[in-house]
Amino acid sequence: MRRTLTAAVATLLTATLAAGCGSPSGGSGSDDPETLVVYSNSVSDGRGDWLKKEAGKAGHSLQVVDLGGGDVQNRLLAEKANPVADVTFGLNNVYFEKLKEAEVLGAYTPAWADQVDAALGDATGKRFWPIVREPVMLVHDKAAYPEKGQAPADWPDLWTKEEFRKKYEVPTELGGATTQMVLSGILSRHRDDQGDLGVGQAGWDAVESYFEHGVPSVTNTDLYARMADGKVTAGQMWLSGKATREEQYKIRTEAVRPETGVPMVVQQIGLVNGTKKAGAAKKFIDWFGGAEVQAAWSREFHTAPANKGALAKADAGAVEETDSFTEQDIDWTFVAARLDRWTEKIELEYLPN
Amino acid sequence: MSRSLRAMLRSPLVVVTGVALLWFVFTFMIYPNAVMLKEVFAPQGAFSTRAFEKLTASERAMDSLRNSFVLAAVLTVTVNVLGVFIVLVTRYFTVRGARLLRLGYATTLVYGGVVAVSGYTFVYGENGFVTRLLLQVFPGLDPAWFSGMLAVVVVMTLTGTGYHMLFLSSALARIDHQTIEAAQQLGASPWRVLRTIVLPVLKPTLFAVTVLTFLGGLAAFAAPQVLGGREFQTITPMILTFSGNPGSRDLAATLALVLGLATLLLLAVLNRLQAGGTYFSVSKVPTALKKQRIGHPVANGAVHLAAYALFLVYLIPPLLIVVFSFTDAATIASGDLGAGGFTLDNYRRVLTDAAAYRPFVVSVGYAAVTAAVVIAMMLFVARVLQKFVNAVTITVEYLLHIPWVLPSTLTALGLIITYSVPRLPVGETVLTGTVGLLAVAYITAKIPFTLRMLKAAYASIPASLEEAATLLGAGTLHTYRRVLLPLVLPAAAAVSALNFTGLLDDYDTAVFLAHPLHQPLGIAIQNATRGEGASDATALTFVYTVLLMAISTLAMWFVYGRNSGTGERRSRLRTRGRTRTGPPVAVLPDTVTAGTAPTARTTQTAPTG
Repeated sequence: MRRTLTAAVATLLTATLAAGCGSPSGGSGSDDPETLVVYSNSVSDGRGDWLKKEAGKAGHSLQVVDLGGGDVQNRLLAEKANPVADVTFGLNNVYFEKLKEAEVLGAYTPAWADQVDAALGDATGKRFWPIVREPVMLVHDKAAYPEKGQAPADWPDLWTKEEFRKKYEVPTELGGATTQMVLSGILSRHRDDQGDLGVGQAGWDAVESYFEHGVPSVTNTDLYARMADGKVTAGQMWLSGKATREEQYKIRTEAVRPETGVPMVVQQIGLVNGTKKAGAAKKFIDWFGGAEVQAAWSREFHTAPANKGALAKADAGAVEETDSFTEQDIDWTFVAARLDRWTEKIELEYLPN
Repeated sequence: MSRSLRAMLRSPLVVVTGVALLWFVFTFMIYPNAVMLKEVFAPQGAFSTRAFEKLTASERAMDSLRNSFVLAAVLTVTVNVLGVFIVLVTRYFTVRGARLLRLGYATTLVYGGVVAVSGYTFVYGENGFVTRLLLQVFPGLDPAWFSGMLAVVVVMTLTGTGYHMLFLSSALARIDHQTIEAAQQLGASPWRVLRTIVLPVLKPTLFAVTVLTFLGGLAAFAAPQVLGGREFQTITPMILTFSGNPGSRDLAATLALVLGLATLLLLAVLNRLQAGGTYFSVSKVPTALKKQRIGHPVANGAVHLAAYALFLVYLIPPLLIVVFSFTDAATIASGDLGAGGFTLDNYRRVLTDAAAYRPFVVSVGYAAVTAAVVIAMMLFVARVLQKFVNAVTITVEYLLHIPWVLPSTLTALGLIITYSVPRLPVGETVLTGTVGLLAVAYITAKIPFTLRMLKAAYASIPASLEEAATLLGAGTLHTYRRVLLPLVLPAAAAVSALNFTGLLDDYDTAVFLAHPLHQPLGIAIQNATRGEGASDATALTFVYTVLLMAISTLAMWFVYGRNSGTGERRSRLRTRGRTRTGPPVAVLPDTVTAGTAPTARTTQTAPTG
């Protein structure tokens, strides 16, 4: 019994010691008056490390917190009374509209404000500013539709035309930003202030048909894996995701270009209300959204910068591809005010099961 | 005031810990949840029935809810049947290679969740090995045959037997072999011995693992999501979606409360059943359990066949996960190992990435601290709750189950909403942005499970042992330290190991409460699978899983493996003294025998010690 005790104590001690040794940043980090805490959903695949390194050269000390879009939003809302983050970037207009509504964002006009189209950001205030544009698209497997005119030309084709039924993938959970943009795009076409949650019955019928005739996505299995496998021929995707997946799964896909346009997601940056490091945070925003850094970011990560001053030195291919899409006219303030209720309604009434 | 209550209040130790416990329960279990529920159901002060109306009107929600209950009920039967079988095969009957079998069955202790489900889809899914084999025999078979309720039940039954492996084995080892011998001499058949002597002793543990199985079924997430298909979805995915949507949290909380109330009801029923029986057959000088030979040759053959078939079923999925962790996403998706080459790139990427090792360290730290604190708290609390049964202890016991009533996501929200401003119960400090808040959440989350298992362990100790010690003049504390503690330590070690491994990949709580500078592994895994970029995310998850399995195995080895040597020696010594043909010695959960071995000795030496 003594041996058991000794072993148990030894295990716990070792583990605790290991944990203790593994906290090298104790004493530094957020306690450091100059280190900024940045929440973002757009720092995976080495983007965060690159950002930290480049920012360090420019004299900004950063602690980057990598979370999913919804998680960033929930943390910021929950920490409203005592914010941990100083700056947040990467979320799209809809999330930022909601954060603004909840008074989580502080007012600030960056030094580069005149270089971006203010309409891409906060239309009625100075709480968040555009940095990167990205289209949300319907893509299809080229091999499945080799002839011109065979492929779907717009989202409604999927459920109105017999030949696409049970061929396209639909999401099974609605928390993802891309999914929410696709649904916003469909529902925005049927805006009707008399209708349920600001959408006419035709819009809800469209959503119902969309899910009814689609093939539900499979957890942990990528859309492109299923296209390569021949299980589906079309589904939703964002621009930079398309290129990487084509290479990964060795298939060629094409994006649909509807006349109404596609939802253009614009990543934003904002100052967190109540930060104790407002000065350093503002300096960081000025630096990160500036032409120089945005051009470098674009070249590094295949994005289209919102800063017009960055375009000359940006990744020309990414900019050209982004510009080749018509932007769907979506009232983001309208969407932001209703999106939660929309996803709740779809979750309760229209998802397959 | 009842006698039990008076007796309880006479002990200053009980009173002091009681006050501390009540503070903890109020501060971290009741108050934050009350704040959260008020925020959710009555944000403007007036209570709303919106959630009930929305949910009852939703066919999908009602179907999913019903499926969750059906699944939980079915699993309590299937998991118990399978769990009892594998414990008997490895511990009770003479089966060749029992040690090897035990290793195979124990794989469920070190892997689970969505990765376990992927493991099974590699075998039975549309591109799975077995499916391909079946298609050659039956070309007309639907490749997606392994889906729906059947597939969910099969996978969850197989992955749900870990608790049996640990706790039922432990309980079985405590049976006094003399009772069995006596029954045999009286002419009882092996089946009768099993039914009337062995199984009744296992009852408290069976009750405890039944609660856990039921809970696991209610909270099922990965298996229904991946294998359920259109007709068998459960409610947890919906709860998680709704708790992530600030406007729909009332729906999440309502659904969670329904599940929680069902759990409480089951607990009440089982508590009543447990209170009414006597469940031990440990004599004052117990003889170690001897393995039983299955006399009937056909039955013996059938048991061997079933045991080895199960062994393969258990072992192949985790093996495939290890294999696939060396391939790329395309190979994993197609399930075709011939197509792609093997590579070390995934491992190189995880291990050389500067940020990759830190989440591991943070997770191990949190898991170790949590496991230590929880067991320290509950060893004492479980004893008091088991010893003194009165209105106060019954209430406290139910309060300690609050984390089972509300899902971790909502509890985390409650903590962060409540303690992001200065609050009196924590001395007017702010807890958000501290490393402690996540630890608090983890500790509360692990309390119900730990309490349940320890109570079951205490319950299976005969009161006569304690009485003997008291009669011989040992004080309460002394008796506890020298008599009771050694007997529950194996269970405590098992619980700690499970608590430890269970927290390593937590995501739901960490995503809200983790300190921004100390992000645990669950968040890193989730970020890897979020798939918003170029990375070969599926393969990376597998690498993380393989490394997790390695850490979990190490933890299990620390608790069990280290002692298997001494356990082996001890049990050999013990058996040599009594009979030449002692039981083959456990490889994995052998602390069980090692821990029970000194029982008699401890009791005898208590007065002089």
